[in-house]
Amino acid sequence: MFQTFLRRTAIAAFALVLPLSTARGQRLLIPMDDGQTNHLKAYGLTYNAMKTGLQAEWLLNYRGGSFLLPDAPEIRRRAALDGIATEPVNDGQLAALRKEMAGGNMESVPLEKAPRIAVYTPPDQQPWDDAVTLALKYAGIEYTPIYDEQVEQGDLVKYDWLHLHHEDFTGQFNKFQLGYRDAPWFREMVAKNAAMAKQLGYASVPGLKKDVAERIRAFVERGGFLFAMCGATETLELAIAGHDVDIAGEFADGSPMDPDADAKMNWKRALAFKDVHLEHSPFVNSMSDIDGHQVNVPGRRQPLGTFTLFNFSAKFDPVPSMLVQDHRSVINDYYGVTTSFTKATLKPGDVVLATEEGAPWVKYIHGDYGKGTWTFLGGHDPEDPQHAIGNPPTDLSLHKSSPGYRLILNNVLFPAAKKKPLKT
Amino acid sequence: MRRPRRPDAGAVRALVVALVIVILAPAVARSVLRAQEERPNVVRALELENDGKYREAAVLFRGEVHVAPSPNAVLGLERVYAELGMSDSLLAPLDTLIAQFPRESLYRTVQLRTLQILRRDDPLREAFERWVRAVPRDAAPYREYARLLIQLGRPATADSIVARGRLALGSLRDLEYENAQLRAAMGEWVASAQSWRRALVEAPHLAMAASFALAPAPQGVRDSVRTALASLPVDAGPRRALAELELTWNRPQQAWDALRVLRPDTSVATVWEEFGARAATEERWSIAHDAFVAALAVRRSPGLAANAANAALRVGALSDVFTLVPLDSHELDSSHVAREYLPLHVAALVRLHRGADADALIARYDRFLVPAQRMRLAQQTAMAWVRAGDLSRARTALHAAGPEADSSEAAGWLALYDGRLGAARRLLRGSPSPSADLALAMGLLARATGDSAPQLGAAFLALARGDSAVAAAQFVESATEHPEVASALLLTAARLHASHPAEAIPVWQRIVTEHPDAPEAAESELEWARALRARGDTAGAAAHLEHLILSAPQSALLPQARRELELVRGAVPPGS
Repeated sequence: MFQTFLRRTAIAAFALVLPLSTARGQRLLIPMDDGQTNHLKAYGLTYNAMKTGLQAEWLLNYRGGSFLLPDAPEIRRRAALDGIATEPVNDGQLAALRKEMAGGNMESVPLEKAPRIAVYTPPDQQPWDDAVTLALKYAGIEYTPIYDEQVEQGDLVKYDWLHLHHEDFTGQFNKFQLGYRDAPWFREMVAKNAAMAKQLGYASVPGLKKDVAERIRAFVERGGFLFAMCGATETLELAIAGHDVDIAGEFADGSPMDPDADAKMNWKRALAFKDVHLEHSPFVNSMSDIDGHQVNVPGRRQPLGTFTLFNFSAKFDPVPSMLVQDHRSVINDYYGVTTSFTKATLKPGDVVLATEEGAPWVKYIHGDYGKGTWTFLGGHDPEDPQHAIGNPPTDLSLHKSSPGYRLILNNVLFPAAKKKPLKT
Repeated sequence: MRRPRRPDAGAVRALVVALVIVILAPAVARSVLRAQEERPNVVRALELENDGKYREAAVLFRGEVHVAPSPNAVLGLERVYAELGMSDSLLAPLDTLIAQFPRESLYRTVQLRTLQILRRDDPLREAFERWVRAVPRDAAPYREYARLLIQLGRPATADSIVARGRLALGSLRDLEYENAQLRAAMGEWVASAQSWRRALVEAPHLAMAASFALAPAPQGVRDSVRTALASLPVDAGPRRALAELELTWNRPQQAWDALRVLRPDTSVATVWEEFGARAATEERWSIAHDAFVAALAVRRSPGLAANAANAALRVGALSDVFTLVPLDSHELDSSHVAREYLPLHVAALVRLHRGADADALIARYDRFLVPAQRMRLAQQTAMAWVRAGDLSRARTALHAAGPEADSSEAAGWLALYDGRLGAARRLLRGSPSPSADLALAMGLLARATGDSAPQLGAAFLALARGDSAVAAAQFVESATEHPEVASALLLTAARLHASHPAEAIPVWQRIVTEHPDAPEAAESELEWARALRARGDTAGAAAHLEHLILSAPQSALLPQARRELELVRGAVPPGS
């Protein structure tokens, strides 16, 4: 009986692909404007097409940053299964499309190789605890979870793209001991990290995390793509700049923070920030003045607003253009351990991708470092603005067209772009 | 010259109306009570305002404010000026009034509100400071200004005002409401709940406002919010707020738990009855039953008793019906008993399969029944006999109730059980009481051809008797006799096996393979996949879901199929 069923499945699939075999040379446009029914899975479709060796194009600023894929049976099948809107495009239509793009602030970027993706996350972490793994899982994009042990073994060389989320690279566990000292999950996290530090030969967790941060810095310098969100943005920078300074509180490494830490920080080594003032009080749940919102400090906490994506020249600035492709340009803000980045702490070369109008902070930044690039996006979960510990995980099937999550997935695809000479 | 209407006049008016309702509700209520004593010009102005003649109303209100100021006149002038986009014209008369009555809080409040609407921040602050100087030991200036600042989305400034008020007054006692709102606006949920707890003891009518303010509290802090509101001693205000919150958070049982511990008195009985009515509306019958019964123990009324008995019927507490609405009650005369309580007793007896007792009861009250009531009750007893398997007594019951009953829905069911499809179609079509059983029967009857189908009738009879296993087998056998409706009959059988997937799977399989183009194929395949997923066969489930999506792209079940596929693939959090 089941064989009959399989036969019928094969017939159904054949019926589906039959028109394709008669439409050679045809392409599939994956629109990314409001005509798309599942924006997030469209990224997975494109990524997996590349992974199977198919050529893809990213049509920057064309209908929300659409994708152009070969009209292959497996792509149609996957699009149908995932509810992704596609539009067949014949040669004539494609020529008209390209003509339209040539006349506006639009550009076609070939996507040639699916990047090898690593996500820095504790081994027992569920994908739902991190917006990026949540998005990758939902979109069907494979990734490899790595943690301290793998980084220390030098495994970063195996990957093109690395994501960090809410890890505290200062080794202070995001100062959660202030509110969760006796919570079982917190105690377990502290114990596991301490055991890992000891196993890898470090005297304390801050010592281990600083070395991990240093290896991540070197990964970018060698040409890696780094994408960080939430608290990882701020603490990575603190750990890099404070490589030779005691910036951890006594509860973390047994010694108080160096009172002259501010002056001893080496911001030349950092990726994005400069002249940062550290939070010296162990009783204030903040790391520094990088974060504009200070969500966990009642007296300093700033309300959420909206942030606006900048518009770049697709032809002259394709990289920032790729990072801001979206069907919405104004997006509701969301908190994280680090929600935003104060303008005063940005390095002059940082490219601001999104900002809140009138506010002294920005939301989304990017820059080059050595041969690689980094991108930082503030906040924890674009569809869970408050995100308190213990909240249920976000179900992305309820947010298929989340403009905030699109920013994350832009970062996943942009390393696949073939570098073109600038049209200058 | 016509004054240009402000583009946001509608919004301003809405704000004014909302503020007047929410903040000045007690003052307005007093004003309304005094309306009959108002001067004729104020009454006339109110009428003009109600008729939308704001300009004419403004002239009269303004005159009264000059001659004999009263709350109604001032508030009326505020409303009509807002409607006309002339709120700035209110400032001069208010200055005069405040100079005359510097301690009158209503005029000060209206002044603050007007300045806020006009977005004049500095004069607003100065007006507040003048008010504080006029009444340094009064909480009203701090309260009103803080409320405005919260509404303006300036919680940090509001916080400083409340802190100042606390210092000036020596405690937060008179600013608890504002403090509670403020803490909520700043995301300090537990502090807000604690403040609400204190505020609601004095002002239980703010329970709904408290629940609105606390509803956005994230999951992680909700237990702490609950603890704060539920802390001892048990007070009605905080408990009502907690109950509202639990309902908002979709925990109806906990909502009732919050209320059930209140010390019984007549006002609490009203709270319980209202809660029961709300639960009944949402068809949460178990909770409705508990709430009605609790209220009934404090304050008895025929309507409340009938509601409690109805809820008891819904939750299957059938014997409770006889004590909740006793037929020998002295609270109603016999004709009212026959109308209000008898149907509940008959329904309970029918459900208990006590058809003979139901018949006897109907006969006892027969002289108080009108024909329509008699027919409805006869139909009920007929169904009791059907469930007991005694079709002849069911027919007798219908015959006894007269020719109308014999052409009723119950008669239609009897025809269906006999397999007389033509009669069943005709009689059931006009049924006044839609139900799932009726929808199923009509759906199958509409597609089945012919007038005689004894086996199909037997299947429905087994279903009516609650024997789902026999009914399922009969529906499967009927599918062979009625190929025109085979897929629907098979799906009906599969649904009856819902709690035993091992028995349902062969039926789904038969539908998918033998009737792939029938509308039932998609549902069968979806249920088949769900059953496979439940037993851990994710690969099998995924294969069926993919087949369903690809082979039935127009099916209305596609969103559900995609959702299941995401769960099977682990693409979304489990259990979400």
